[in-house]
Amino acid sequence: MDQPVSHLKDDDLVLHYYGEAGPEMVTTARHLEGCAECARAYEALARTLGAVKPPEFVEVPDDTQAIRQLLRREVRTHSWLTEPRAIAIAWLVPLLYPWALPAFFASAQLAGEQVPAIALTVLALLWACAGPVVALAALHGTVDRFDRVLTRLRVLGALMATVSPPLFILIARGGERLPAWYGAIAVTAVVALVPWPNVSGATGRLQFVHRFSAAVLGLFILGHIINQSLAFVSVPSYAGMRSGMRLATQQSISYVVILAAVAIQIVTGATMALRNVRAEAVARNLQAVSGWYLAVFLFAHVFAAFFLARPAGAPPVATSLVPPYLLTSVRTTAQLPYYLLGVTAFLVHVGVYARLAALAYLAESSVRRLSYVATLAGAMVVATVGLSLCGVHIFG
Amino acid sequence: MNDGDVDVFLALVERHRIYMYNLALRLTGNEQDAKDVVQESMLNAFRHFHRFEGRADLRTWLHRILINSALDHRRSLRRRPDAHHSQPLADVADTAASNSPDPERLVASADWRRLVSATMEAMSPLERVTFALRHFEGKSIAEIAQAAGIGHNAVKQHIFRAVRKLRLALDAQWISR
Repeated sequence: MDQPVSHLKDDDLVLHYYGEAGPEMVTTARHLEGCAECARAYEALARTLGAVKPPEFVEVPDDTQAIRQLLRREVRTHSWLTEPRAIAIAWLVPLLYPWALPAFFASAQLAGEQVPAIALTVLALLWACAGPVVALAALHGTVDRFDRVLTRLRVLGALMATVSPPLFILIARGGERLPAWYGAIAVTAVVALVPWPNVSGATGRLQFVHRFSAAVLGLFILGHIINQSLAFVSVPSYAGMRSGMRLATQQSISYVVILAAVAIQIVTGATMALRNVRAEAVARNLQAVSGWYLAVFLFAHVFAAFFLARPAGAPPVATSLVPPYLLTSVRTTAQLPYYLLGVTAFLVHVGVYARLAALAYLAESSVRRLSYVATLAGAMVVATVGLSLCGVHIFG
Repeated sequence: MNDGDVDVFLALVERHRIYMYNLALRLTGNEQDAKDVVQESMLNAFRHFHRFEGRADLRTWLHRILINSALDHRRSLRRRPDAHHSQPLADVADTAASNSPDPERLVASADWRRLVSATMEAMSPLERVTFALRHFEGKSIAEIAQAAGIGHNAVKQHIFRAVRKLRLALDAQWISR
């Protein structure tokens, strides 16, 4: 009986034409020698591609003068965000962060009495959540030259600006909030002054482990986000889902899996991320900044309880079946930017990766349209979670 | 930065200007867009020149900046459909098919070049740029991925789609003979 003939695909022929078939090159060449149908298809491809010639060279216009004027205009209107200013602004965020929380709490209290004060509350919340945005702006002109003290100061300033909300909560658990906070900032600044060892970037295996543990952890985080969004719609539905999730996550096997996934995420992420920033690479910097935030957020959320006591008066969020209401004190108010940025960082981190992966399968315009839809949906999720944490529920 | 820095920068990049212009021409397909892309690349390179400091080859650095400027330029053109008044692809194909009786003369004809150009004009920015870099410049998929800042597989898929579009438009020209 004849074996069924397996012909080469068009894409295989394209790779062969450009000499990009890798180890399959010899196999493809042998197949083309023995298969008339594939040989004809390859010949047609080669004929068409061979007839696609580059545009003819033309005389290069001498527009040096126009370029000179363009650059001189650039010098005159040079961006105000110079390197020293970028460093200063990045470090100002953690330095001022402890004052954003009382401002937010006081304005939220005032908004309860006077509606126009809602604008002040929004401004104070924006201040508390500004860190990652400032970090992205500060990193916009960064290069991978970590042998420069200024680059290290800029990257570590961006890191501290990004992780201020979870790091402040973590430090506050140990008591002595302000001295410990400013001590941590000083230690980080000192780290920028010493040379960093050369660490190789993300290897394929490291990325695989990171993505695999992210998939496991992603389900757990997604469950929490859906649950918290549900609290905005209906408190009983929130309580029902919450008790189901608690039942699942309190099984010792799932608890160990979650702890392991968080630990792997933090370790692999820390190995890959600190040097993974580059000038003008917005997607890459977004991935790095959201990763930094998630690492400290997950550490504070999952591991802090093992070695730091819960502060007096803090609500037992993890065990309650009632949606948390975070506007009761300055201490609980600090958890609002912490959670909102946590949800945002998760959605951005997954979204940026999904966007890059989708480019391999979909046309760029489709990916762009999907990105807009996903951004809108993500913003709605964050707003919904924020409202539910502020005690707004459609069906109490 | 001051005017003196502008002169130093221009003196350094001057010997790469012809290379940049021709690369831009291959990536964009027409002289006006190539000129715009070179100017945008020069501006971007100047903005970040103080951090270049000779660690990499200047041409490689400029090459990467130019590719990203070309992608941005193509994207901005696609957001403004009135920016180019190119002839519809079907009309160009009909003209090419009717004017050149045999394949050799067809490939050498201006109609064929217009057909290729119109087909490439209809590609997405990434399809066009990745295809041009692979087909005209002979850059490897790995080099293109690094320069454009996208994944290896994404580059392959964009090239596959570009080739499919070209074959859809051009193969019919051979069959009609």
